[in-house]
Formats: sequence, C-alpha cells, structure tokens
Amino acid sequence: MNNNLHFRQNNFTLIKLVLFIVISVYLMYTDRQLKLGTEVRNNFSYIIQPIYTIAESPLKLYKNTSLYIDTKKNIIKENNALKKKVLVQSGVIQQIPPLKAENKRLKKLLSFSSSIDTSKILIAELIKVNLSPFSNKVIINKGDSDNLFLGQSVVDSFGVLGVISEINQNFSVVTLITDPGHAILAVNARTNKRIVLSGTGDNRKLKAKYISLNEDIIEGDILMTSGLDNIFPGGYTIGEISVIKKELNQDFLHVKVSPSSALSSNREVMLLW
Amino acid sequence: MVVINKIHIISTLLLLFAIILNILPLPSILDSCRPPILLLFLTYCTLAYPHNINLTYAFISGLVLDILLIMPLGYNALYFTVTIYLIMMYYPQIRLQSSWNKMFSILIILIPFFLSSTLLNSILKINYSIIDVLISIVISVIIWPSLFNMLRFIRQKYTQ
Repeated sequence: MNNNLHFRQNNFTLIKLVLFIVISVYLMYTDRQLKLGTEVRNNFSYIIQPIYTIAESPLKLYKNTSLYIDTKKNIIKENNALKKKVLVQSGVIQQIPPLKAENKRLKKLLSFSSSIDTSKILIAELIKVNLSPFSNKVIINKGDSDNLFLGQSVVDSFGVLGVISEINQNFSVVTLITDPGHAILAVNARTNKRIVLSGTGDNRKLKAKYISLNEDIIEGDILMTSGLDNIFPGGYTIGEISVIKKELNQDFLHVKVSPSSALSSNREVMLLW
Repeated sequence: MVVINKIHIISTLLLLFAIILNILPLPSILDSCRPPILLLFLTYCTLAYPHNINLTYAFISGLVLDILLIMPLGYNALYFTVTIYLIMMYYPQIRLQSSWNKMFSILIILIPFFLSSTLLNSILKINYSIIDVLISIVISVIIWPSLFNMLRFIRQKYTQ
C-alpha cells in the first residue's frame, strides 16, 4: 500500500518535472517577443519595490551609521577638498559662456543648425540590489510618475551610462552601454569620424566594430556621443580607446574602448530630456 | 492538517528570507561568486519535507527570482526544478549521510546548476566566467553543513 503510494507519486513527479522544464524553456525562448517578465514587474511593482527596499536596507544602515560615526576631522578634510574642487570647476565654467557665444557665431557663419541643448536634468539614485553578477543592468529609483520614457539616456558625472529599458511604477531598469545587446554611434573627438561601439558584457570595455585597417585612430582618442542616433544627445563622453590590435589576416582593426563612466560603482545618475 | 499548514508557512517564510539574502548587495569581490542561497534553502526544505515542498515550490521560487533579478523568465526556474527533482529522488540516502558525506552530495547535486548556468549563459549570450561559478559552488559546499544545522534548529523550534 505504502509502496504503491510512493510509486504513484514518483510518476507524478516525473510528469511535473517534464512539464516545468518545457514551460521554462518555452518562457526563455519567447522572452524577447512576449516580454512577460516586464509585464509582471510592471503589474506587481508595488510588491517588488518593498522587497528591493528591504534588501537594500542593510547597506543603507551601514552607510548612515558610518556617516554618523565619521570623525569631525575627516569631514572637515573632505569639505576642504570639495571646496577646492568647486573653485577649480567654477573657474573652468567661467570660460564656457564666451566659448558658447563664439561657437554660435562661428556656426552662424557656416550656416549650421543650432546645437542640441538639453533642457532638463533629473537626478536619480541607484537601488543597490545585487542583480546577477553577469547582467549589465541597474535599477534606479525613478519611475512612471517622473515622466520617464523608454530609451531615455542616462549619464553620470564622467560619461554616458546607458538607456532606460523598462519603466515601472517606482523604479526603472537601465541597460548599460556595456550590455552585449546594446550599440551606440560614437564620434572620434580628434578626427570627427563615426564609430559604432557595442557592448561586450564586461563592464570595463566596449568594442569598436568595422574599423578599416588604414583608419586614422590612435590609442587615447576620446569618443563622444554623436547625437545622430536620436537616443543620446550629442557631446557626452563615452570613453577612451585603450587597445588597438592589427591582425593582418582580418579585414578590420581590433579596437577596445574603456568607458569613462563609473559603471559599477556610482550611486547617483542623471536622466536627460 | 494544521501541521501541514504550518510546514507551508514556515517554508514560505524561509524562502522569502532566502530571496532577500540572494539580492542583498555585497562588496564587489564577493559579488560575482555568491552562492545560490535560495537554492540551498530550497534544498533544505525539500530534504525536511519531501512530501510537501516539491517541484511546484522550486519552479515558482525560480520564477520569482527571475523577475527580481531581471533575468530572462525561466532561467533560474529551469535549474531549480532539475536540482529539486534530483533531491526528491535521493532524499532518503542524503538524509542518512554524515555531514562530510552531505557536503559531497551537495557538490553532486549542484552539477545541474553549474551545467545549466554555463549552457544558458552561452546560449543567451550573457557574459560570465566559469571560475566564478566554480568558486560559488565551492563556497556553497563549505557553508552547507552550518546552514543545514541552522535551518534545522529554526525548523524544529517553530514547527513543534
């Protein structure tokens, strides 16, 4: 009797196993088209948000306590350093309005259209939960209520970070420029040549594709957004060319770019309109 | 019936706690080689109550993890289901083993985790390093006996 029961359950378990494997493979196969995960996150964001908050709270608590315990000496030191930095940067900023005016005048002479000006900037905070270590996505704490839109560009103080790929009630998902499925049209600041950069999955490098062997390109060239892809506004730094390898049996140069934004360590990001 | 309800409640609470542990931010050195904590908790629950905690639990918690980690839906659910199936096959043997033996059997049970994560990562073009996956398996084998004892202590305290 007991044995029979055991046997029956075993059979049932096997059926369940096959069923679940088929379902999960089907879900993975159709993930790109159906976007079921996005849909679920969208509808249940009021449950997911608290889970993220709870998971993030130990880190926040640690940060707050360390801030509280931090010595006065350290704070004064940091304050002085920041003051110096502000002084230097405001000195640099002073030169910008005349430069802008000059630029405008020159462009008028060449009958160019006016340059792109971003009108609004919103600062968002990263929600520091541990996504899969191999995924190139981060979560930010702004959502539907802040009028974000899909494909909005996200930058930090050093350069371009990524685009918004999913918007939920109180949080959104940013796909970084190093994601393997992401590409960006850059322009070389020295030569004004356009270059397509695509992600590698590694947060420390991008790769530049289809650069012919005789192209004028050297290590240390700075790449900027071109503004031609209608996603990123022009003129933001992307990174710097770090490696150029010439292999004679290949048609194109092997070029690696190191992104300038602090992709894995920053806490605050800016959203551009 | 009351006991069975109690079992489900305590396992669900344990799994929820494990989910939070799984997405807890860590220093970046530990980040890439963190052990699959939810899977270990699920393994314990299955070893403790093989008739109540079954493949449905594994599949659903895998899906929940996929949704929270912004992975392709079904990625974690697949290897959770396979691992828990293995445990449901062999739980009478594993229960009787000494703790050294248990460490060895958890190493074998985590093979589907290793295989499916490497296979799926390469199919879905997710960048990964095999060494990190191996380190995470070694860490989970090392922490398994203490985790097992801790969870048994909690379970015995709250289900009696």
